[in-house]
Amino acid sequence: MSAPVRRRRRTRGALTPARCIGIAILVVVWLAPVAWIAATAFKSPAQVLSLNVFFEPTLRNFAIAFGPQYQLGARLLNSLIVTGVTLLVAIPIATASAYALSRYRFPGGSVWSIAILATQFVPAAVIIIPLFVAFRGAGLIDTRAALVIVNLSFVLPYATWMIKGFIDAIPQDMEEAAAIDGASRLRALIDVVVPVIAPGVITAAIFSFVIAWNEFFYALILTRSDATTLPVSLMSARTEQGDAWEIMATIGLVIIGPMLLISRLVQRFFVRGLTAGSVR
Amino acid sequence: MASVSLRNVEKRWGPVVGVARQSLDVGDGEFMVLLGPSGCGKTTTMRMIAGLEDPSDGEIWIGDRDVTELLPRDRDVAMVFQNYGLYPHMTVAQNIGYPLKVRGQPRAERDNAVDEVARKVELLPLLHRRPRELSGGQRQRVALARAIVRRPQVFLMDEPLSNLDAKLRVSMRAEIKHLQHELKITTIYVTHDQIEAMTLAHRVAVMDRGVIQQLDTPEAIYNRPANLFVASFIGSPAMNLLNGALETGDFVAPGIRIAGVGQGSRPAVVLGIRPEDLELCDASEADAVLPVYSFELTGDATLATVAHGEERICARGDRHLRLTFGDTVGLRFARAHCHLFDATTTQRIDGPA
Repeated sequence: MSAPVRRRRRTRGALTPARCIGIAILVVVWLAPVAWIAATAFKSPAQVLSLNVFFEPTLRNFAIAFGPQYQLGARLLNSLIVTGVTLLVAIPIATASAYALSRYRFPGGSVWSIAILATQFVPAAVIIIPLFVAFRGAGLIDTRAALVIVNLSFVLPYATWMIKGFIDAIPQDMEEAAAIDGASRLRALIDVVVPVIAPGVITAAIFSFVIAWNEFFYALILTRSDATTLPVSLMSARTEQGDAWEIMATIGLVIIGPMLLISRLVQRFFVRGLTAGSVR
Repeated sequence: MASVSLRNVEKRWGPVVGVARQSLDVGDGEFMVLLGPSGCGKTTTMRMIAGLEDPSDGEIWIGDRDVTELLPRDRDVAMVFQNYGLYPHMTVAQNIGYPLKVRGQPRAERDNAVDEVARKVELLPLLHRRPRELSGGQRQRVALARAIVRRPQVFLMDEPLSNLDAKLRVSMRAEIKHLQHELKITTIYVTHDQIEAMTLAHRVAVMDRGVIQQLDTPEAIYNRPANLFVASFIGSPAMNLLNGALETGDFVAPGIRIAGVGQGSRPAVVLGIRPEDLELCDASEADAVLPVYSFELTGDATLATVAHGEERICARGDRHLRLTFGDTVGLRFARAHCHLFDATTTQRIDGPA
């Protein structure tokens, strides 16, 4: 189907020796810290600070991390739920609002889309205390709902802007054809626009996932124990007895894991989507 | 099937007039072509009929319904876009069937209709392909099939052939004409290509700067252009236009006198004559003897361009004709095909022709 397109892409990115070396250097620089964390997660506390590459791997750290002291299972669940709900709410709304911003004319013109972006310029440190007070008043402190709401406040504008860029880039013909063929605005959006910009929506979803998944600051302030997410749980490894590096590494690995998994899964879909969208 | 009627329709964007206030009636089953240079308002006019653009003023009627306020989907029109407007993620069959699907037709009926239409435009073997796997001509066929599958009351076509190569354009032109004749669906077709307009239309509306300059059959537009714009826009090579004066029925310009082309006297007129209505002849029989400026062999004819002061006059001669630069040739003007226009109003002056 799209074989000719792919073949051309590959020949253009031919692997010359210089390229190989460049890629190798990048891979080492990027991967070394990850490898170090991964190794540490399987070390015993005594081995953590040694530079020895050879050690006896152990699953002890995982047992401790998922045990009663750190409750990593519950943290993981919190992170999954908060991130999942955030994306489920944010991506459809962002797609719809991106479409509206891209296709409709508003009084005031582009003021609205810029205003949406402007909300992101407010530093978190400035609004965290009012937010805390507001959430306490609403009885939402230490709930996942609070984190979803906070995540939405920056994921939604971000995703809207990103998806808007993709919608701006596709010609209006298709929607006009759909309108004449009998589709309502919403129907045309679902049947025609979304499939065509699917790669863009997926890209926005990936970036939104990373933002929500890694969100630390708000989660640190707004949760205590019940709704604590993975990034915050990292802090629990810093105890009065000293920093449990091997536990931190274990938690770090649990944080990285889903992202690697998702990027691997999505990458295939993503590349296919890119070539599918290349129809003039 | 229905007639289409624009009543005092106007389109403005602030102070800019896209389409001037005017009316246009397209008869039931008629093939109407809107012809004009880019920016003349022809596409805007069509988009207003489709409902993709709201008129600033006036009413649009399709059949006995006032559709001015209706959404595109409620107007029962179908449109073919210049770059086809196909849905890239759907197969050919899904593309063609989409109008039926949206309107909730059951699957079996839909498949039958798609098959029937696909057969008509010879797409049957390609139904499972996607648009990107098709050639330009095939994509155009898909767009056509999608338009006719619903049997709309009105077809709208916005420069449907302009993305095709010259050869394909000729065959698709014939195909469109045949389809329209067969289906007898009222069709409005926008183009800047005069050949398309002449070959396809029952009637042509020549537009310029938002105003319909002439609305008539292709023959009448070609043979009796209403003003200088139409005269110069229609025909290839273009009609020769000579500035001069009318003296008791004779057209007079420096070195040229053509007797009996008009009536009375006027100080400033333009004489128009098509290259094929000029005969190359001996000096003794000629209305004007002028030096050769250039000549071109087109295969079926020789186009001779002669210089008349700053003006160039093109005459179409026999294909065996050979000229040399700097020679002089005699030109005889076919009286019946001389067109006179007022140089200031640019309107046609009706003489005996």
